[in-house]
Amino acid sequence: MPHVMNLDDIIGIESIKLGFFKEVQRKISELKASNTELEHKRQDIQAILDGIPDVMVVMSMDFRLLSVNRTFHVVYGDVEPVGLPCHQVFKGRNEPCSPCPIAQAMANAKTVSRTLQIMHWNGENRQVECTASLMKGTGGNPDRILLLQRDVTLEKQYQARYFQAERMATIGILAEGVAHEINNPLTSIRGFAEALNRRLTALEEITPKGEQGAALQADFHEYLEIILKECSRCSDIVQNLLTFGHRDTKHLAPVNLNDVVANSIRLLHPRLSTLQADIISLEFGEQAPLVLGHPGELMQVVLNLVLNALYAVQEAGNITITTLVDGNMALLQVLDTGVGIQEEHLHKLFEPFFTTKPPGKGIGVGLSTCYNIIKKHGGDITVQSEYGKGSFFEVVLPNLAE
Amino acid sequence: MSTYKFAIPEIIFGRGSLDFVGVCSRRLGASKIFVVSDPGVEEAGWVDKVFAILRQEGLDFVYFNDVVANPRDYQVERGAALYRETGADVVLALGGGSPMDAAKGIALVVSNGGRIQDYAGANQVKNPLPPMVFIPSTMGSESNISQFTVITDMERHIKMTIISRTLVPNISITDPLLLGTLTRELIIAPLFDSLAHAVESYVSPIANPFTEVQSLKGLDLLIRHIRPALETLDMDDLEQLAIAGTSSGMAFTNASVGLGHALAHALGGMFDVVHGISHALLLPSVMRYNLPACTKKMATIGRIITGQEHTTEEATALAGIEALERLRDDIGIPTRLREILPDKTLLPKVSQNAEKDICLLTNPRTATWKDILNIYYGAW
Repeated sequence: MPHVMNLDDIIGIESIKLGFFKEVQRKISELKASNTELEHKRQDIQAILDGIPDVMVVMSMDFRLLSVNRTFHVVYGDVEPVGLPCHQVFKGRNEPCSPCPIAQAMANAKTVSRTLQIMHWNGENRQVECTASLMKGTGGNPDRILLLQRDVTLEKQYQARYFQAERMATIGILAEGVAHEINNPLTSIRGFAEALNRRLTALEEITPKGEQGAALQADFHEYLEIILKECSRCSDIVQNLLTFGHRDTKHLAPVNLNDVVANSIRLLHPRLSTLQADIISLEFGEQAPLVLGHPGELMQVVLNLVLNALYAVQEAGNITITTLVDGNMALLQVLDTGVGIQEEHLHKLFEPFFTTKPPGKGIGVGLSTCYNIIKKHGGDITVQSEYGKGSFFEVVLPNLAE
Repeated sequence: MSTYKFAIPEIIFGRGSLDFVGVCSRRLGASKIFVVSDPGVEEAGWVDKVFAILRQEGLDFVYFNDVVANPRDYQVERGAALYRETGADVVLALGGGSPMDAAKGIALVVSNGGRIQDYAGANQVKNPLPPMVFIPSTMGSESNISQFTVITDMERHIKMTIISRTLVPNISITDPLLLGTLTRELIIAPLFDSLAHAVESYVSPIANPFTEVQSLKGLDLLIRHIRPALETLDMDDLEQLAIAGTSSGMAFTNASVGLGHALAHALGGMFDVVHGISHALLLPSVMRYNLPACTKKMATIGRIITGQEHTTEEATALAGIEALERLRDDIGIPTRLREILPDKTLLPKVSQNAEKDICLLTNPRTATWKDILNIYYGAW
């Protein structure tokens, strides 16, 4: 007994038969408090889930959506996805995907599985890493699927850019090596050809006069001239290779776009020699467009544009490369009369991994690389096209004032 | 005493009122009733009768009958375990004081937790109890009316009195027909318990006008009908005794009892003596001890018992006490403690236990353990 009992305790005026009203009230307020606490926790967790920039979806075992986070709505818009099958929500299909990538992955991995998919998000093709894992229910048995969709386009883009850069660097080193190797014998050839050239007068003196002798001398003149001319051409090519291979991006120099175009065409010579002679026409403006930039990178842009144009015109058609200065702008235009670009593809042209070429012909990084190079030079690249008629690419760069 | 309190359950009384047990339980929210009774009541057929009524009402139930006279702490615990295990709700007690007190103990433990010992004393109950429907099969305990339950602590050999308004049953159903299956011997002890309730509640320092009228009404009916009832077991007399019991119950649940109950509890805790027999043995001695502290009230009691007025109040009171002793002798029950106890050796310990009994608080005259031992010796 906690205290000494007295008569008032036994009369118990204030001690009444306890009913459940107070008890129920207490329980209700306890439940309310715990409900509020749970609601706070739920909001906390929801805030965390909403803060995750990946799409998160909980699905039933028959692939119907149960709940989603906020990012879902950012990506898939204002749809009410609960209850819908995943193929409808993610792919816009009425039938399940065959094969179902999630089911396939789950069958192999049992708990967590990853697949990389190209998905159409906000009107763009994005590379998406889909992670599916089984969620355990109250009984400890898996009864739901947690699906995470992470946009890895940028990562993949950087990865591709890195590989491309690596490749270019390797090619650059190779080219540089080859160029140096060729340069030495070329110098000898040129030296000896020039020496021969100098000895032509002496040769004339000892050559018998007459028709036969004159013909011999003319041949010697002509052949030596050709050798020297070809040496000069080789030398230019080697110089080009050395420029292209040299990829010190910090080192900017005034570059004449006309030279860039000319050098590019020269590099493409083997390819062009198999096509009709007038397939490319050059139209250089009066004033040479000068750009402060990286000659190798700018050449990469020109090469890309020209190669694309060649792909577009196939065997018949024309490509016109124009350079001009317009006010403070140095312009480079590539016009072709090829297949053109479908209107719905136009706005995606400079996105990474966008390609209309069949597999093996390109992975869709060329134009996006051009875009990045031009952007880096403070310029812009735009396209106009009419499907079936041809395309017009225009590069705008700041013209370097004298 | 300027502020009074008088609290009783809803009381249903009358021959055949047992039939209402199902509907009453249902109204209290029953779906699985916890029925507490004992083998004696089973034998009389009343348990089966209650089961039949409940079945007819479409009510499920659980049955617990592990109850002996002077119900024990571990029996309460077993009952509570069964209650929890079966998910029962309303507690229905059928029988004398033992099943009813055990049922209260079970209802208390299942709703308040812990052990029954935790609630000894007054007003220690903190949470509401399951609804309780109590049906007395005999008078004497009036547990169906009272805010008391008395449970034996088997370790300390004492009877713990637990007092709480929350222990008052929700509904009391008294059907005098249930007395019809009792033998003469079975009725004697409860009748003396009722007499003790009537007398002790009347002289209690916290008696009030509402309890006093019930005390005296109960005493009057008891005195009128005890002898004829024991002779013929006539239902009319038994019914009046049932009313008497209920009246004295309404009195003592509010005014409490006194020294007599402290003595009886102490004896019962140590020796498992039948509660009513302790009263038969000790009530006259207790009245003599209290007489100086409440002569006027004792005279009123004497007048009711004997129907006579003597020259002094003390003489009138003493005449009543002697009349009670004669009644006890006439009925033929033990009159000396030595007839029912093995020896005197434990009496000091019993006295010390009695001194701590909460009922002593409401006795008109204080008593030390030596005063109590003196009474025990006198009744030896």
